[in-house]
Amino acid sequence: MKPAPFQYRRPLDVAEALADLRAAPDGKLLAGGQSLLAVMNLRLSRPSHLIDIGRLGELDRIFDDEDSLIVGALCTHRRLETDPLVRRRVPLLAEAVGHVGHVSIRNQGTVGGSVAHADPAAELPAALVALDATLYVDRHGHPRREVPAEAFFLSFYTTVLEPAEMLTWIRVPAPECGTTWGFAEIARRRGDFASAGAAVVLSREAGVVRQVRCVLFGVADRPILLDTAVLTGRPVTDQTVEAYAADATRDLDPPDEPELRRAHARVCVTRALRDAARRET
Amino acid sequence: MSGYVGTSVPRREDRRFLTGRGRYVADLVDVATLHAALVRSTQASASIRVDATAARELPGVHLVLTGTDLDGVLGPIEPLHRPHPVFAEAFGFRWTPRPIDTLAVDRVRYVGEPVAVVVADSRALAEDAIELVTVEYEPGRPVTSIEQALAPDAPRVHPDVSGNVAATLATSFGDVEAARERAAVVVRETYRMGRHGGVPIECRGVLAQWDPLEGRVHVRTSTQVPHVVRDAICAATGWPRWSVRVTVPDVGGGFGPKANVYPEEILVPYLARRLGRSVAWIEDRSEHFVATAQARDQVLTAELAVDADGSLLALSVDFAADLGAGSLWVAGIVANTAIHLLGPYRLPAYRVTGKAVYTNKTTVAQYRGAGRPEACFALERSLDAAADRLGIGREEIRRRNLLGAADLPYARPLPYRDGVAITYDGGDYRKCLDACLELLPREAVAEAAARHPELAVGHGVGCYMEATGRGPRESARVRLLSDGRVELSTGAASAGQSHETTLPQAAADALGVSLDRIVWHPSDTDRLAVGVGTFASRTAVVAGNAVREVCVRMRERAVVLAAKMLGRDTADLSSGPEGFTAVSGETLTWEQLAGALALDGRLADEGDLDISGVYEPSTVTWTMGAHAAIVGVEPATGLVRVLRYAVAHEGGVEINPAVVEGQIRGGVAQGIGGALLESFPYGPDGQPLTATFAEYLLPGTLDVPTVDVAAMHTDATLNPLGVKGVGESGTIAVYATLASAVEDAVPSRRTRLTATPLRPADVHAMCGEDTR
Repeated sequence: MKPAPFQYRRPLDVAEALADLRAAPDGKLLAGGQSLLAVMNLRLSRPSHLIDIGRLGELDRIFDDEDSLIVGALCTHRRLETDPLVRRRVPLLAEAVGHVGHVSIRNQGTVGGSVAHADPAAELPAALVALDATLYVDRHGHPRREVPAEAFFLSFYTTVLEPAEMLTWIRVPAPECGTTWGFAEIARRRGDFASAGAAVVLSREAGVVRQVRCVLFGVADRPILLDTAVLTGRPVTDQTVEAYAADATRDLDPPDEPELRRAHARVCVTRALRDAARRET
Repeated sequence: MSGYVGTSVPRREDRRFLTGRGRYVADLVDVATLHAALVRSTQASASIRVDATAARELPGVHLVLTGTDLDGVLGPIEPLHRPHPVFAEAFGFRWTPRPIDTLAVDRVRYVGEPVAVVVADSRALAEDAIELVTVEYEPGRPVTSIEQALAPDAPRVHPDVSGNVAATLATSFGDVEAARERAAVVVRETYRMGRHGGVPIECRGVLAQWDPLEGRVHVRTSTQVPHVVRDAICAATGWPRWSVRVTVPDVGGGFGPKANVYPEEILVPYLARRLGRSVAWIEDRSEHFVATAQARDQVLTAELAVDADGSLLALSVDFAADLGAGSLWVAGIVANTAIHLLGPYRLPAYRVTGKAVYTNKTTVAQYRGAGRPEACFALERSLDAAADRLGIGREEIRRRNLLGAADLPYARPLPYRDGVAITYDGGDYRKCLDACLELLPREAVAEAAARHPELAVGHGVGCYMEATGRGPRESARVRLLSDGRVELSTGAASAGQSHETTLPQAAADALGVSLDRIVWHPSDTDRLAVGVGTFASRTAVVAGNAVREVCVRMRERAVVLAAKMLGRDTADLSSGPEGFTAVSGETLTWEQLAGALALDGRLADEGDLDISGVYEPSTVTWTMGAHAAIVGVEPATGLVRVLRYAVAHEGGVEINPAVVEGQIRGGVAQGIGGALLESFPYGPDGQPLTATFAEYLLPGTLDVPTVDVAAMHTDATLNPLGVKGVGESGTIAVYATLASAVEDAVPSRRTRLTATPLRPADVHAMCGEDTR
């Protein structure tokens, strides 16, 4: 399949990209093209303008702030996966992107692309919600918006992004001392869309849970931040984890094969929490 | 020089393939080539009215043709296989041969059916024009399963086919009723093998060039059967054979779906001639999933009667194959299932009834195994069920019934598809099972379980039988080139199966020359007027022996000519790798012989040294094999991993053992795909639910373990090379073997695995049942 006709633009900096977006509000930003080009080739997406942001080198950078990493939207999955800084400061992010497709896909696909695409089975949105990341959204002639990751994803392939807006940067708090992480995913084959997955950020103090953020993906229309109040103030044991996972996944209503997917979600919550509990703080 | 046959000569084609220098159809399209694209039905069953006016006006569009435009201009594609009358009589085979239309005229029968064709300057433009063709659908009620198709009030897929039945057969031998009466155990179950297919890495593609100088069309198509395609083009267009040349470039996998003829292969040459241009149609993956023939999709109800020792008394099977909206291989598919249900066992009584039915789904062709995996699944699963009931072990029931050295050759009271009485020309099938279990014994489960404590581990076994090397014939041609090298070509086209290496190996030995002297030429209907093609595990047997035969004849003729040149008696001449030596010491090289045969040479009057011939096997040669697997089931998720796999197969001479092993390993990989992952489901409205590789899951390197292979050599006496076919040996028994292993891993009293693919949801349910 070939895409329907479109106008092509290739801005050289963010300001120009935002101006292009304002001029063509139904335009689409092209980054790694791993999702967009496929749907355009199937003619399921027919933007009038394709704004290729591949040359915006300014967004292909990662900064180490004092308490956070600041990740440019154009960083590839592969970079997050292999960058020593990311692996040291926010290892959950590196682990999560390692589950995205295959190396050739990760070499092309970008963080911003994955987040803005908002596939409910995607790893990165879930990891960002678990990490309590903040997404920076820019728009020509408007002040920057800062959106918490958990408020960013609305439904299947739908986010709070307005037509002329562009996701530019992501601030990811680097876990503090006493905080560990866990990740689990079930897919038919390595690299497939997840049947279910979970990302966990766990803070403990004196052996008991202070706070835990546990996010499920692949089983609803967006990443789901679970209510984990019941786990706080207690140590993490196999029993608490299993009982919690059973409770937390009981009412899920995944789109197909619901029984199997609920079971997979339960397994993922269990594994991700155990994974986090096992790690040294 | 001799002795290439039997050695693992490195594949000559690999350098080209591995360095990205393969030449596939799409690589041959140049800037002057026009692009065809098809308007395809979006409905499974509907009356249609097509209006192409707007599309014709789009700049850059050269031609738009609808089914109505071509009605009466282009004929349909006729069935590719007609049953032998002796077979038809013995199996009570009845059918109404039904061709496949090139373009639908007033009715569509599946989503993806070609409705109109657009030719434009580029593919993208052609697709823009497609959007301007309006198709008005008046939807009918689609039929999407065998059960629906056979229901009394079922709508007809084809108005002229009542009951949607394309073919039926019924035959038996022995006293099935009496056997059932005295049986200790009778197991009866309905088995289902889901629809999947070959899905080659290269989709299909056709490039046709009109040559005004010669007044001919040159068609390059990604096919396994160039001569069959040429004949179909001629039949549909009425053009004489000489005016159509079909050649085969590199082909990225065939597996059966490309041993077929498609509407695009008729349309594109027609368009090229009509426009006086080069026209290409390159299938993309979205099209492939609806427009390339699919396979399997059978339901079989099997009843197996055994005595208290587990000896087989009778097998009775009723089966139905879903052809989708049509198939050019109807007779072949149902015949394969009916025959291969006999298995490699002593079976005194057998009764089979079968039918092929039309549904509103994509058409069906033969796919690696072609009706045999279905038969094998029903038979082997029945054996497992009987063994479990008797408590004798699944390996043991096979050992007790497999034909041994004393039983073979083993005649069956039915003819094969070629009309010749079936005789298993095997060696010792029991020994083959033992060899397989030696490679992968049940005891290996403990080690695998220790290595994978998170998995429930099980062992499974399955046996298959396969008729290989089906005729009626294959052609080969050798000719001496000016530099003394020898060009070799066959009617059987390569889709990556190593023909470029293995057939020259056979040629070099027959000519007594070094392999370097043999130049492989891809299949070309101009080189050989007749040919059949590559499918049905037949090329090594039928093309291989054709190659041998023409090379033997060439060598004999060369000696006569060399003797003439040297003024000696042929008896005083010997031929060697470089040429010919007389007892008196004079020599003549192959190159000198070529010089002498040239138009200005001393032997010019003798004509070229250029020999064509066909080999016609007397009947098929049978292979048998045993598969064993160790699988790990993750009880919490229902996911199945194949941890180890082994195949022992009874073949003949192996032209190239590494290639044989590769065929088996590739076959197992495809079997694992079909058993665990691959599926073409359809919605109740007939919409295909598989549109991309996100839904159609092919096995990757992490899903397929290393396959251990043991070759059990037997003397294949039916052909001079002593070879048997192997292309499908890796695939046929995988389904049954994996189902058996999963049942062993998570034993269940309530659930038996009777359908493929094995769905994680079902396996997960079994696991839950187990722990409760």
